[in-house]
Amino acid sequence: MRVLVIEDDATIAAFVEKGLREAGFAVDVASDGRTGLEHALESAYDAAIVDVMLPQMDGLAVIDTLRARGVRTPVLILSAKRSVDDRVRGLQAGGDDYLTKPFAFAELLARVQALIRRATGAAEPTRLSAADLTLDLLTRKVQRGSHAIDLRPREFALLEYLMRNAGKVVSKTMILSHVWGYNFDPSTNIVDVLVSRLRDKVDKPFAHKLIHTVRGVGYSLRAGE
Amino acid sequence: MAMSLKRTLGLRLSVWYATVFILSTVALVALTYALLASSLAQRDHDIVRATWREYAIRYELGGLPALRSAVELEERTSGRERLFVRVIGPGGADAVFTRVPPGWRDFAQEDLGDSANGVGAADAAGHDEHTIIEVASARLYDGTILQVGKSNEIRVALLHKFQWIIGVVTAITLVVGVAGGLVLTRSTVQPIYDLIEVVQGIIRTGRTDSRVTVRTAQGDAVDELSSLFNTMLDRINALIVAMKESLDNVAHDLRTPLTRLRANAERALQSGDATAAGHAQREALSDALEESDRILSMLNTVMDISEAETGVLQLRREPVALRTLLAEVVELYEDVAEVRRVSVTLEPGDDVTVNGARDRLRQVFANLLDNAIKYTPSGGSVQIAAGIDGGFATVTVADTGGGITPHDLPRIWDRLYRADPSRSERGLGLGLSLVKAYVQAHHGTVEAASEPGRGSIFTVRLPLTAM
Repeated sequence: MRVLVIEDDATIAAFVEKGLREAGFAVDVASDGRTGLEHALESAYDAAIVDVMLPQMDGLAVIDTLRARGVRTPVLILSAKRSVDDRVRGLQAGGDDYLTKPFAFAELLARVQALIRRATGAAEPTRLSAADLTLDLLTRKVQRGSHAIDLRPREFALLEYLMRNAGKVVSKTMILSHVWGYNFDPSTNIVDVLVSRLRDKVDKPFAHKLIHTVRGVGYSLRAGE
Repeated sequence: MAMSLKRTLGLRLSVWYATVFILSTVALVALTYALLASSLAQRDHDIVRATWREYAIRYELGGLPALRSAVELEERTSGRERLFVRVIGPGGADAVFTRVPPGWRDFAQEDLGDSANGVGAADAAGHDEHTIIEVASARLYDGTILQVGKSNEIRVALLHKFQWIIGVVTAITLVVGVAGGLVLTRSTVQPIYDLIEVVQGIIRTGRTDSRVTVRTAQGDAVDELSSLFNTMLDRINALIVAMKESLDNVAHDLRTPLTRLRANAERALQSGDATAAGHAQREALSDALEESDRILSMLNTVMDISEAETGVLQLRREPVALRTLLAEVVELYEDVAEVRRVSVTLEPGDDVTVNGARDRLRQVFANLLDNAIKYTPSGGSVQIAAGIDGGFATVTVADTGGGITPHDLPRIWDRLYRADPSRSERGLGLGLSLVKAYVQAHHGTVEAASEPGRGSIFTVRLPLTAM
């Protein structure tokens, strides 16, 4: 998998590049719009991450030009602007997703992978599993080893989301928007409470813990350790 | 209210216009009628007087035979209407000579009014109730009374015809007056209505890019007002755009270093080692990440409040069923409330629909519920109810918490106000400021009442109309 990162801020670019490499991607970085556009036109990428405010040529113009030349590479827009209008403009220019700065790397990674998955049309599984935990999406049954686990709908949704992103870190914001569909930040930690309930059911009776807290970032469901 | 104002203004203008128009027409017509009637009467009287004088001279020169032949000559040669002529002897006895116009009968001397000389508008016996014979009656040198009279038939017929014309003219005037009033009102008031509509639209949506259409080439005061209003809107729009930009720039300038901070901390966290010192560093880095998220969340909230307060915020309005929305919010806090052992109930009732931005309203009620749960001790309860009061949808969030002191009550809406001055615990912060800003952006109100020790009740009122 090859990803192009067009970002002029060296710190952010290095952070994204390093993270993506560790996740197993091949990464090219361009620090201005024109160079980025040249890269994108020359080589085939599986995804591109484009900052909006770029020297030489702004990010939206880059995307617009790419789309006009028939390049269908999925694009994740990075922007420090979070208004709905900016989001809409980004998506209208031909971007496929929009991520507001600052962001947790985990969120960026999840979105890039989702874009690639969507573009390649990977088949949706009907059953998710991690270690001895299985979740059946059709019957909505959860089992750990031989024990059936009874989950409330929200707990099920959270576990499904964690299992789909098994091995990766998901942020509280991501959980809030995937499990409840809300994009605001309630000051009380609703997510923490739900995770703790889920832990009580999925991890507490068992020796081997699957759900881990990654402080400052979010949560992760891992089979190993 | 604006609608009824519009109607009454338009109606008042047309009624005024029509009234003035009709009254002046009627006055003009009435004056003309009076002048015509009096000059016609004057003319008749002149004829009667002149004829009397002529016959008097004839009588003086040649006696009764001369008068008789003069009358007969007049009747034969003149195509004019026949006059009434009567000569009464000096003794005051019977008439010695009488000519009555065709269709009239003779009448007694007594029927005439007391008019010894000159023209008496005597109400002589007429052949219908409107027509009379006006008679000039006077004594001659020998004591004989000579009477000459003329019927007012022609005059009455003429005036009657004129009255009919006046009726038609007045009817036309009425139609023209009312129609003219409507047209005038429409052309005068329509631009004002347009103006009202545009202003209402701007208040409703917060979009300042709509403009009033200015009729060209007329250039009257209303058009000038419309065009001045557009100029004003251009300026407001420019200001809002500038304000939005500077808000955006501030946010952008804060976000970029925040992104770097976060990126550096995350990167460092990934490369830490597992020693005890490494563990302390990891903790510190994790704290840095959490605090950077907190700064970001505050920055977002401050931006939202500023946008809502300055009117930059554009509300994407849609019909929102409040009870359904409240049920969602209650569900969101279900687990939190359970953990804190606070019972949250949504009172049953009919659903109320308001026109608002769903996400913003959800945030308003989430913040209120969040607060209520946070400040209610274990074992307490929070009750949420939705209803209708006057033209408003009301939502109340009542808790059994510690309440708010009267000193703090007016200040809870201030940004970052904290009842506890030590500021050691994260408290109300921006939540209630955001609630107030969003509710006001919806043209609603929010107020708090509290009894220290018993609990607080927050009431949100949102207008039910489209405004």
